Amino acid sequence: MAKVSAITGVCCILVILLSGACASRRSEIIKQKTFDPASARIANGEKVFMEKCHKCHPAGEAGLGPAISSNPAPQFVKRFQMRHGLGVMPGFKKEEISRKDLRDISKYLHAWKSY
Amino acid sequence: MSARLFIILATSFLLASLSSCYRMRASRGGGQISPVATRNIHPDDIALPPGYSITAVATGLTFPSAVTFDDQERAYVVETGYSYGEVWELPRLLRLEPDGRTTVIAKGGKNGPWTSIVYHNGSFYVSEGGEASGGRILRISMDGKITPLLENLPSMGDHHTNALVIKDGYIYFGQGTATNAGVVGTDNAQYGWLPRKKDFHDIPCADVILAGQNYSTENVLTPAAGDQAVTGAYVPFNTPTRAGQVIKGSIPCNGSILKIPLEGGKPELVAWGLRNPFGLALSPDGKIFATENGFDDRGSRPVWGAGDVLWEIKQDQWYGWPDFSAGRPMKDLEEFRVPGKPAVKPLLQQYPGTPPRPAAVFGVHASANGLDFATGDFGFEGEAFVAEFGDMAPSVGKVLRPVGFKVVRVNVQTGVIRDFAANKGKRNGPASWQGSGGLERPISVRFDPSHRNLYIVDFGIVRMSDRGATPEVSTGVIWKISKD
Repeated sequence: MAKVSAITGVCCILVILLSGACASRRSEIIKQKTFDPASARIANGEKVFMEKCHKCHPAGEAGLGPAISSNPAPQFVKRFQMRHGLGVMPGFKKEEISRKDLRDISKYLHAWKSY
Repeated sequence: MSARLFIILATSFLLASLSSCYRMRASRGGGQISPVATRNIHPDDIALPPGYSITAVATGLTFPSAVTFDDQERAYVVETGYSYGEVWELPRLLRLEPDGRTTVIAKGGKNGPWTSIVYHNGSFYVSEGGEASGGRILRISMDGKITPLLENLPSMGDHHTNALVIKDGYIYFGQGTATNAGVVGTDNAQYGWLPRKKDFHDIPCADVILAGQNYSTENVLTPAAGDQAVTGAYVPFNTPTRAGQVIKGSIPCNGSILKIPLEGGKPELVAWGLRNPFGLALSPDGKIFATENGFDDRGSRPVWGAGDVLWEIKQDQWYGWPDFSAGRPMKDLEEFRVPGKPAVKPLLQQYPGTPPRPAAVFGVHASANGLDFATGDFGFEGEAFVAEFGDMAPSVGKVLRPVGFKVVRVNVQTGVIRDFAANKGKRNGPASWQGSGGLERPISVRFDPSHRNLYIVDFGIVRMSDRGATPEVSTGVIWKISKD
């Protein structure tokens, strides 16, 4: 049982590494599709993302910071990181990004990843 | 332990590990490539929205920067005559002929870069960047006669006299700062100008009161090893300052938008506190918008995480340089602290105003440069199209992947930025980095008089290393995007 768990764990980490290594371009001109926010909250999430996050993660791709479009972490993990920071990434307090806006960014990232 | 919980913990651990390794990761900017033999031109390597097509209308140019059109809708291009990496050519105004050849209309002297051109009422108006002997605004006749309208602008540093627009009988133009963040340092020697302009420094547009921050560096102006220099803000290299010291403002000044009458005259201040307002354009409703290149991670006062900005320019507004980035005060904020270095301290004891909210924030080191607004039949009416020249990592700071090297469109009401023209492929980057034949370094865009075609001025290949820039002559291209 322990051996099966260890193998499963290694496979999971490999999958994570491999999926992280895949290209994260979700650009409309690359996908040849238009991204149309399906709700006001997704539209708001995109707006807040552009204001706060785009400079380091341009359109979710790597730039100053790593790519996040291809990051397989669950949204609640990403929200935790946005709020509290991690490593060199600063956290954003509630005064900078409200709880609602944080969730809207999550909705936007999920929609952007899968449109 | 359940498999789901294991995956979540493993992911979190992986995220933590990757983040803490940031400082160990190498820079992978778009210019960090080996020399290339030639530039390949394949328009099919460029991705566009459905319903648009692209062609190369001129190739083999050397450091082109801007395009304009005369009354017969003929296209004219300026070549800068200067590139970072301190490569000097002669600036030129060229007419593009229908078969792709060029006709020389005018040549400048060794005082480039020529950064902008506008055709108006039978004449061309050109910004002469002025790296050698000061920026100028020039009027050039159709037969190539050059008349200076304004001279001796403070352009002999990192940034120059930039794009111009004509509105209500005035020429509005951008004037960049001498330094990255207000303090002359050893990075300015690497740029090339400090040894030849030892006393040059930023000039504020109004009196400022200093906080008295001083920075110790190697003294690059003396031959003795171990010599140190102490330098404050808005003063020459190796000149300390004290808290409460007043630096007098004067016009012309650095980091500003200025204007002069169309016939020439004394410059007047429009706005200031802009680090390098490179691009300038009029929106369909007559507002002035400027792109500002944000702080770099270099020099005596490096700043991290500073995106480039699109601003609406308003009369008498202060936009925050050297103490704000995109409207946010940098004082002690983790967001702007270079990893492993102290927090950014303010240079000013009192701020001359409150910066507004930006219209949009671009990627850090994207080099958001020339812009124009869509009107008419092209599509995306009212949006700003912005050329992103692309990162100059590692000398401006590290990036994990190339940033920029594309043309984006911006909704100036919401700040949403979407790609309009970029190279195809798994990863974004310039053609030389990808090994493709698409865009290299878009430096400006301009809609033609019909508003059905967008011209992209592509500067060409610029390789980057720790020693700075190595531009490649004869690799500039003019692209034309048309709606099908």
